[in-house]
Amino acid sequence: MTTMSPTPTRPYDLGFTRWVYQNIDGGDRMALCMQCGVCSGSCPLSTTMDNGPRKTFMMIRAGMKDAVLKSDTLWNCVSCYNCVVRCPRHVPVAYILHELATLAVREGYAPARTSETNKFVKGFTWSFETFGRTDERIISLFYYFQDGFVAGIKKLLAFKSIAFAFVKVGRLPLGLPHRIKNRGELKKMLAAAAAIEARHTAGRK
Amino acid sequence: MAQLNRYFPKLCHPTCGLEINFQRIRRNPKVKVFTLASVAAVTGERGDYTVTVRQAPRYVKANCTACGDCARATEMKVQNQFDYNLGKVSAAYLPHEMAFPMRYVIAPQVLGTPEAERIKAACKYDAVDLDEKESTFDLHVGAIVWATGWQPYDAARISPYRYAYLKDVITNVEMERLAAPNGPTQGKIVRPSDGVAPKKVALIQCAGSRDYNHLEYCSRICCLASMKHAAYMREQSAEATVDIYYIDIRAHDKLEAFYRKVVNDPHVRLIKSKPAEIKIGPDGGPVVCGENTITREIYAEPYDLVVLATGMQPAGVEGVSGAPVDAYGFIVPEDETQGIFSAGVASGPLDVSMSVQSATAAALKAIQAIR
Repeated sequence: MTTMSPTPTRPYDLGFTRWVYQNIDGGDRMALCMQCGVCSGSCPLSTTMDNGPRKTFMMIRAGMKDAVLKSDTLWNCVSCYNCVVRCPRHVPVAYILHELATLAVREGYAPARTSETNKFVKGFTWSFETFGRTDERIISLFYYFQDGFVAGIKKLLAFKSIAFAFVKVGRLPLGLPHRIKNRGELKKMLAAAAAIEARHTAGRK
Repeated sequence: MAQLNRYFPKLCHPTCGLEINFQRIRRNPKVKVFTLASVAAVTGERGDYTVTVRQAPRYVKANCTACGDCARATEMKVQNQFDYNLGKVSAAYLPHEMAFPMRYVIAPQVLGTPEAERIKAACKYDAVDLDEKESTFDLHVGAIVWATGWQPYDAARISPYRYAYLKDVITNVEMERLAAPNGPTQGKIVRPSDGVAPKKVALIQCAGSRDYNHLEYCSRICCLASMKHAAYMREQSAEATVDIYYIDIRAHDKLEAFYRKVVNDPHVRLIKSKPAEIKIGPDGGPVVCGENTITREIYAEPYDLVVLATGMQPAGVEGVSGAPVDAYGFIVPEDETQGIFSAGVASGPLDVSMSVQSATAAALKAIQAIR
């Protein structure tokens, strides 16, 4: 997990472009992008993004590493995959955004640390690593209390009425979280996956 | 070609070109024409090809005078394929006013009904033969030129554009029929939903073309065809506005002058964007949605009429054994010394003048191959 993308020496550094083409899965297809705007136009969250996928790709092609990895576009993707199925050039848009988000975390960019999406993802990961299942209550609690105890209580109270409504209609179970059998096996699988990722990352130029 | 209203860039009518070429064919005793025919198989080699031809029945003999008594004799109507099913036509019909040969056709749906007998009885030349059957015959030839032409890409397959659900989303070929004086509306461009002349029109480029999900290639003609459609709209209405959504406008060399002329009109707006989808608006009309790639603005613009510039697909070669097709279905002979050639859109997307050039070239090559 030590290999980083090249540190830019100027705002427009094509070294970053080349690195993305070669090291991000599907990154090479970005060279085929014709800037038609179908990805950003199809995106349900496009209006909440600073750049949107199309402009992000143009920025990558211009070598704007800092601007790309600080962008909230990487974090506001909800993985609806409209862009992926509609892209006329078969660019795996959403997958590339996820890879760029991972890169932003690995390289310690500030928005990656403060992004609400990333905090939520941490809760999601912790839940399935611990129980082998995702439990909405645990994910929510993990997410609420990341900014401290007081902030957590405040967020809990804010969602109080929604939570009670969910309990009423039976959408929020009150029992203990379900665990899968043989959690040791899951741990081994996750460790193997981590090893593969480390190997893959180390192989990056 | 006869289905087009006018050609770009000079906006001249296709009838004069057709007239000249039909006369040439008619006067040349060495040219034989088989209509309603399709090629089933091709075998053999240069100088000795056998082409198996399947000819569908016309149910009308050669002594038809195109008087039209049969059409008047029946009440039954069938979809008018010449107008891309925009209107209906009598079950005994002349395909179009420039039909070659100038003979009526009887729709197969009418057979076995009392209408068929009524049609037969109406013909005072006894030209109706309801017992005609499909025939298959072989032609022995030295060289072959494929000039099977094209068909528009099926717009219903571009599901985000809701062509199948929105009446006021039409294709560029349907626009040609609406604008044509011999079309379903006698040349008045109106909305299919309510028959009112549209005030705000969107033309969407690359509907299916340059898209790995549909046609992977650029169809070449659609940009200029849409310029022509903008010109039709502006000719018919002084207040109509036309928005052209494009990825990039491909107006090659001499065609650029026509493009400049059209876009200099203040009522014609170019918007650099491939629309992501067409939604159904609150009034049931089309709403074009996407991202303007110059301003990065997300738009949702309602229109009276949306025209999809659908691309060209090769026609009539699917399933023919022995046809040298490329990955897209165009006829591209790998080895031109073999005596098989292609002309016009059968060889790739071309406009009318380029098709004529390629046809002349193919004819010369074919003559040389069997000399």
